[in-house]
Amino acid sequence: MPVGLQTEPSLGVPGKKRWAMVVDLRRCIGCMACVCADKAEYDVPLGVWRTTVKVKDTGHYPNTKRHFMPRLCNHCDNPPCVRNCPTQATYKHEDGFVLQRYERCISCRTCIAACPYNARHVLPKNRDRVKIGGVVDKCTFCNHRVEKGLAPACVQTCLGRSRIFGDLNDPNSEVSRLVARHKTVVLKPDKGTRPQVYYIKPDRAQTEQVFSAPQSYAARSDAQAFYQRNRGSKFFSGVL
Amino acid sequence: MSDSIKFTRRDFIKFGGAVGTAAGALGLTSSRLVAMEQELGGKDYSPTTGAERQAVPYTCMACNIEDGGVAYVENGRIVKLEGNMDHPNTRGKLCAKGNSGFLHVYDPDRIMTPLLRTGKRGEGKWKRISYDEATTLLASKLREVIDRANAEHKPEILNEMVFKWGRDRTGGAVGRFMHALGSNTMLNHTNICESSKKVGLEPTWGPDIESCDWANTKYILNFGSNVLETAYFMNPNAQRLVDGVVGNKAKLVSFDVRMSNTSGFADEAYFPYPGTDGAIALAMAHVIMNEGLYDADFIDNWTNVSARQLIDHLKPYTPEFAEEESGMAAKDIRRIAREFATTKPATTFSYRGPCKHVWGSYQEAAINMLNVITGNVEKKGGYCLPRGMGWPQPQPVPPKGKTASVIAAPPLYPLASHHVSTHAPYMIKKGEAKVSVWMTYYDNPVYTYPSSHVWKEMLSDENTVPFYASFSPYMSESTELADLIIPDVTYLERHDPESMPGGLYPCLSIRQPVIKPLGGTQEFRQTLIDVIRKVDPDGALGIKKYFAFNSVEDWMRAHFDAIPGLKEDGGWDFMKKKGVWPIYGEVDKETAKIVDKNGNEVEPDYGLYTKELSASDMAGAEVDNDGTIKKDGQAIGVQVNGRNMVGFGTPSRRMEIYKESYRKYGFNPLPVYKRLPSRDKKPDELVLTTYKVNVHTQSRTASLKYLAELYHKNPAWINPKTAAARGLSDGDLIRVTSPLGYIVTRAHVTEGIHPDVVAISTACGHSAYGRLAQLKQREQAADYMQGGDADIANNVWWNDKGVHPNPIIRLAVDPIGGSQGWYDTVVTVAKAQPGDKYGDTDVSVEASMKDYEETLRYAYTGDIHRAKHKEVDIDWNSLPEPELHGGGH
Repeated sequence: MPVGLQTEPSLGVPGKKRWAMVVDLRRCIGCMACVCADKAEYDVPLGVWRTTVKVKDTGHYPNTKRHFMPRLCNHCDNPPCVRNCPTQATYKHEDGFVLQRYERCISCRTCIAACPYNARHVLPKNRDRVKIGGVVDKCTFCNHRVEKGLAPACVQTCLGRSRIFGDLNDPNSEVSRLVARHKTVVLKPDKGTRPQVYYIKPDRAQTEQVFSAPQSYAARSDAQAFYQRNRGSKFFSGVL
Repeated sequence: MSDSIKFTRRDFIKFGGAVGTAAGALGLTSSRLVAMEQELGGKDYSPTTGAERQAVPYTCMACNIEDGGVAYVENGRIVKLEGNMDHPNTRGKLCAKGNSGFLHVYDPDRIMTPLLRTGKRGEGKWKRISYDEATTLLASKLREVIDRANAEHKPEILNEMVFKWGRDRTGGAVGRFMHALGSNTMLNHTNICESSKKVGLEPTWGPDIESCDWANTKYILNFGSNVLETAYFMNPNAQRLVDGVVGNKAKLVSFDVRMSNTSGFADEAYFPYPGTDGAIALAMAHVIMNEGLYDADFIDNWTNVSARQLIDHLKPYTPEFAEEESGMAAKDIRRIAREFATTKPATTFSYRGPCKHVWGSYQEAAINMLNVITGNVEKKGGYCLPRGMGWPQPQPVPPKGKTASVIAAPPLYPLASHHVSTHAPYMIKKGEAKVSVWMTYYDNPVYTYPSSHVWKEMLSDENTVPFYASFSPYMSESTELADLIIPDVTYLERHDPESMPGGLYPCLSIRQPVIKPLGGTQEFRQTLIDVIRKVDPDGALGIKKYFAFNSVEDWMRAHFDAIPGLKEDGGWDFMKKKGVWPIYGEVDKETAKIVDKNGNEVEPDYGLYTKELSASDMAGAEVDNDGTIKKDGQAIGVQVNGRNMVGFGTPSRRMEIYKESYRKYGFNPLPVYKRLPSRDKKPDELVLTTYKVNVHTQSRTASLKYLAELYHKNPAWINPKTAAARGLSDGDLIRVTSPLGYIVTRAHVTEGIHPDVVAISTACGHSAYGRLAQLKQREQAADYMQGGDADIANNVWWNDKGVHPNPIIRLAVDPIGGSQGWYDTVVTVAKAQPGDKYGDTDVSVEASMKDYEETLRYAYTGDIHRAKHKEVDIDWNSLPEPELHGGGH
């Protein structure tokens, strides 16, 4: 370090902010409001997502359960995407955001391959309102809102108040207190990425499904249709 | 919900426009250290330019919950929607549908001009005409009817002008229009919605729904409501249900035949046999009463029954009986009944699961009774009355039409206060009513009704429906059959007054044009004004005066400018600025409770029925033997333990567990369980149920790309055991066959469904509603469409639009509440036959006509009714004669 534009992690550094998200899985009801709010916020085209909520059913009749797993960029403190970007298009902001500079992106997809969380995608060229395409895009933690004192769009609309956002460097913030009081996990800690999205109370069914293949015929046939058109993107099966 | 009782608000404390201001306001006044948390909403900035976006408040109408919203506009275009932080019940949040609602505005297939049919009905050949030409044509058709009625001196002819809506959120505009024309033939959609819930509740306590205090409760019994996905008040209820279960450690017990997100979230989920929720509720009441776990004071003081009477009545409903009917173990029924009765506060919630059956009203009444006998009514954390607010209608208001309409209020259903709209095409086909002009607004029966093909046949027949005008901006399965289309704008471009009891804080809200209507389109309200002025250009008919508004905005001012309290705040101008009134406080960032500037909760009112009558209320009033306080012939309250209180909205002003109105027509006055024909199906048959998912409404959202991407096909849910018994595997092509015919769809084999049930969502399977809903997005846009959206044209990746189940669903209504028994159709499911193609649908109108005759046998005059109600103490030979009633809607 630093490779690319990796700044020193701000976590625990006095006078600096470390934006983070806590996802309280006890409170997620799989309503998909975050998915749609995010699509609208950035005019995200069909076939790609900055955030998703994966749905998984477990158990046998009549003892069944449904689990939801919201996903987004982890805004890692040791982000492999930044390390691997050959053009410094991806960089780490001093407040913790991992951001993308479209004008430097050559769409080589190295960052997509490097990200262990499938948090990146190539923007299709045909869009509705915003005309930027053919470059890599990702969740920004809504840095444009956060810098103006607002929570990210997905947090704003979260019906269950499952997504909580704030400054981990402020010990009084809700995210700090939640992380201090609850047992939290991050995804794939073994990758050494130091993710900054913390999950409260996940079952194994939830964390393990994150990377599982579609199981039902309904999901598999959708996946097949998806990959016929969207090679290189990651399929998200929606609510079925 | 347009007719829920309007409660007047207490003198709540108001905080003006303090919401969404300084981030540190809480911290400065609180004794504890509070972080500088991010604001949740109220402002927005463009991610590409950083410029602040223009914010305009509105009320959502993606579905019918009417959440408060703020639309953000960038360069004249609505770019996103978010919840209005000033709305006390929706608290700044929108669901998936609400967030996607702006896509309605920019739907490439939106109809941008009035259209006149040029080909055959349904052929899709249209001529573009102006709003002026269109309103002139409709006015001339209406005037013909009025002239004929006047010439023949037959006011009943006026009822040949028919107005049918699916959603009427105009705040009285439709009623004003029809009554001005002299017609009472207004058909709502409520009997395909939840009307038997309403008819189970209204005679009991007045209003048509409950408002649970989810956030403060400790125990919830959820009967057949998918409250975390759909149901009435999904967004505000879901928010507070999570607060209750996670924040307040409430226990959630859920009953559904299918694992919805709600049942999947519950602490305990049960899968009762369809239509047996009432048996479970009655058995729980049996346990509570027999074990002495009831609230004796509440039953004595606030109901019209005694504990002894209930214990006797509930005698047959043992947990063992309920186990036999529902499949839920008697020991679980006992345990949960005890938990419910001894955990305080507690509440039930119910929606379509129990009530959308023949005799669904009984089921709703049985569930309601659980709250009554445990004394949870109107308690903090309990089962509360809905709280709405009213607004005045501009004067003068036209009187109702002179003659009652037989299809608006069918005489065989005297208790069905929300009427029986499903019966209209059958009655018209049989010559019981005549139609001259058929008008529709937010209505698509050719897609949304049971035996939908019957509606298609009627609307296609020019002899039956000589002229059909639709006000829809979307080419739905019904609108494509119209002769004239006068497109309304979307809900983000027009005016409406609103009040929905979505939570415990009563409030008013509005819709206003966030942007100028696109492409010269005109809002419905202006179309009504124009039509009336053309029907009665010189005022000679005496109709014009009811529409003497200089502008649509003047009409809104007439609703809002004189309301006490709001008037002082600025009336309509305040509403335009804030979108909602009153503003109770701000949303606490950590608890989401509504708090004052000191961070203390602004608590809602409870115990509304105990409000004391004032001395002036009591002046001239009399108290009868059982305590009912009457004034000028009207019951205004009830005297309990010497206190004069307002009570409930019933004749006795108490909760009427015993419903004399039911008994009058040979129905059981007390909640009972009646075994449905579907309970006696053959072993190889299944009960077909339908459901909604969290990202779609019934019919209007398949055209919204974000939602279609999340959910676009609706395979039939079937239990693995059931599938195995039929040799079916996951994904197999199957035929689902009812007595009406069959559909060919696919099997979705899942553990989350009752083995005797097959469930198919109603969200998909359009044969109209624009190109995206039909996956024809690569076809050329028609000349009347808006066009645009390269994203839809190029990036749609899914290739399955689903198969709609309504054609095979049989008409069968609750003889009490008039509600369609959506979950009473018995079907067989088998592998598709050779030659069957996905989506094939083959159904018979003749078979549906037979169902109509069959369901009339359940009506109060029918032979099955009598056979099934032998226990009712009534002279069966002198039931009231069927008569026209209600004078209309």
